Amino acid sequence: MTHYLKTGLLLTASMFLGSSALAEDITIRMAAPDWGPTRFMQEYANETYKAPSGNNVKLEIDFIPWPNFFDRVNASLNSGEQKYQMLVSDSQWLGTFIEAGYFLKLNDLIAEDEELQAIIKDLHPALVSGYSTYPNVPADKVAEMGNYSPDINYYGFPQFPDNYFTYYRTDLFCDEGENAAYQAKYGSDLPCDASAWEDMTWDDWGNIGEFFTRSAGETLAGKTLESDFYGVAYQAGKPLDFSTMQINAFFWQWGGGIWDESNEPNSPVLGVVNSDENVAGFERYLELLQHAPPIAKTGQMGIFEIQDLYMQGKIAAIIDWAALAAPVVDPQTSQVSDVTGFGLMPGNMLNGKLDRSANLGGQPFVLTTWNDDEVIAEAIDLVKWWLSEDTQIAAVKAGGQSGLMSVLGNPDYDSWAPWNATYRQSLPWQKDLWHVPEMFEMLTQQQEEFDRAITGQISAREALDAVAEFQDELLRDAERLK
Amino acid sequence: MVMQTSVLPPAFTEKADARGLLQWINAPERRGPLLVAPALATLFLINILPLLWSFGLSFFNYRANRQALPRFKGLENYADLLTDDRVWERFVTTGLIVSSSVALQLMIGFGLALLFAKNFPMRRLVLMLVLTPMMLSFVSVAIFFKLFYDPTLGILSWFVSLFTGESFALLSTPQGAILGIVVADAWMWSPFVMLLVLAGLVSVPGYLYEAAEIDRASAWTRFRTITFPYVKSLLLLALLFRTIETFKTFDLVFLITEGGPGSSTETIAIYAYRLGFQFFRTSEASALAYMILFVVIVLTSIYLYVVKRRNAAEEV
Repeated sequence: MTHYLKTGLLLTASMFLGSSALAEDITIRMAAPDWGPTRFMQEYANETYKAPSGNNVKLEIDFIPWPNFFDRVNASLNSGEQKYQMLVSDSQWLGTFIEAGYFLKLNDLIAEDEELQAIIKDLHPALVSGYSTYPNVPADKVAEMGNYSPDINYYGFPQFPDNYFTYYRTDLFCDEGENAAYQAKYGSDLPCDASAWEDMTWDDWGNIGEFFTRSAGETLAGKTLESDFYGVAYQAGKPLDFSTMQINAFFWQWGGGIWDESNEPNSPVLGVVNSDENVAGFERYLELLQHAPPIAKTGQMGIFEIQDLYMQGKIAAIIDWAALAAPVVDPQTSQVSDVTGFGLMPGNMLNGKLDRSANLGGQPFVLTTWNDDEVIAEAIDLVKWWLSEDTQIAAVKAGGQSGLMSVLGNPDYDSWAPWNATYRQSLPWQKDLWHVPEMFEMLTQQQEEFDRAITGQISAREALDAVAEFQDELLRDAERLK
Repeated sequence: MVMQTSVLPPAFTEKADARGLLQWINAPERRGPLLVAPALATLFLINILPLLWSFGLSFFNYRANRQALPRFKGLENYADLLTDDRVWERFVTTGLIVSSSVALQLMIGFGLALLFAKNFPMRRLVLMLVLTPMMLSFVSVAIFFKLFYDPTLGILSWFVSLFTGESFALLSTPQGAILGIVVADAWMWSPFVMLLVLAGLVSVPGYLYEAAEIDRASAWTRFRTITFPYVKSLLLLALLFRTIETFKTFDLVFLITEGGPGSSTETIAIYAYRLGFQFFRTSEASALAYMILFVVIVLTSIYLYVVKRRNAAEEV
């Protein structure tokens, strides 16, 4: 007996030592923007991640400030330094870096891994379309194929999905006096709770904007204002993609659209980008800016500016990303933390239905092409860990969002953050911007023309004609248009 | 000879070789060039080589983010840029910002120098404070002015609203935005002009002013005949430095307006950045960079020509 025990112990010890000796130290370095969702990923990986392979895998995120993120990633990739094994990428950058040969096509890996296939099938189709497919496959087609098809080229997985929606002041919208005055003027109630926002149109948004725009000395919810107060605000900024993100929602909601990259080279630009529907949507967008803070006139009203003004208690309602909601309900950073509610973004009545189409935000994370098989296998395990139900629930509880339908369908999901229900409801309306490498030129020129219209130098029609003409020429040169 | 070398022990030949090499290196005629060689090699590697490389690229259709092999295009990139309205528009904008800002800097800088050339209580402290803006980083100055011009929170809007009762958005029009950038740039760099001019002013011998006073020369005559000739060359130097620097303006404009409204404040340096790092038209961006370099060389040549003519006139 003793002899058997000794032998058994020796065997166990030798197996343990053997496996330890074989375990390799592997570091997966990932470039990511420096903010909550990626900080959480690093901390949670440090605390909980154990590689199923038995290797000592360490996730090492290189946190880069948002304003420099693209420049740093772009410089690293194009220099050939091959520093990163994984990257967080904006969805619109996919084409640029895929065509340059930096992002790994995942089809073979997914085909031989049922667990990965299950994850893809569990994701919301809008996120698979925006974050993973190149050439882009629209969300409705992705959904038709059940999210997974060998005919689709897959490149990324959601690191942090994001939508924009309404943040509003419950102390104002639920105030009896303000409600009575609003009812008397417009014949309807102010949307006090989240369900009331489900019926809101842009006409209501305009009324709310007009109603709450007040000068210093006037009263607001029974109190005398010390400074000017503004009704509503949404993105109207030249930097990055600010204006485009909000204006695209107006195009889609008015029945128009942007150049359809999924049908290149047969999808036209002229007559689509400057269609009557787009012009009407853009005109409405511009018209509603009159109820925004004066910074809108400068074309500098970006997502941080409106968030900042809202947190200072200077605006009644704004439309902003879920990613920016946490500081708004934090009493350390916001003056309106305890009086903020969340509701759907207003929509436009189109063919008898309220259309709430919006531009998808958030970022996927991808693998780079220079990794060896072992690193690829470890990176894929890391992806599976991040997109596992437990990790995603932990991420949502920490203020993030999930793209997994199984997590979104959790009965407790809405209770984990005050904006979760709104995020979940707005997810089906998400569409994405272009992913082709020409995106940067198209976006920069479009932002310039939109900015001219926002600052009153040209009309909506003139701006869209200029955008259409530029895109037509550029895409023809790139042979993406016949 | 071959036979002789082959019979010597290897260690001996190595030692002899090493000694010979040291002697060769130590030769007085080689010491100098060898000492500066590392510096020259570094300069070549990090400066000259990239310069030549980018110059070569400007004749191809290379894109840093594409795998396709570059195709030789000759002067096509230069021709495209020279016939591109967007490029000319940005050159005109840059010219407008440069001429307005440098003129303002020279006027303010000169005025400040005249002020600080005299003694007054707490002169040193005030001088130090006036010099502060040029010691700040571009980013700090840009953010400061962006907040200063903010129509909701900014002090400028608050001040204007005292008279008009309404908020004021300086950056909402192309003219206002250019004015905003010019003021920020002049605020930052007028002290630099002042410093150069002040160096000229303190070098004016006091006896010249005393003689002029005896001759009952008016203040204007004293300035025209004594002060100005002494500071003229330094003023020209300030003009050259500031023109070249302002011509390359990027940070201030990008952070205050990002080239807006529309593209009305987009300088040629910002456009070169967009071409190179946002649109990935690497070869076109290189060509544009060389066009900017050409303009800067022309400006410098004009300055040198003026200085040479002035020196020649003085010698006569």
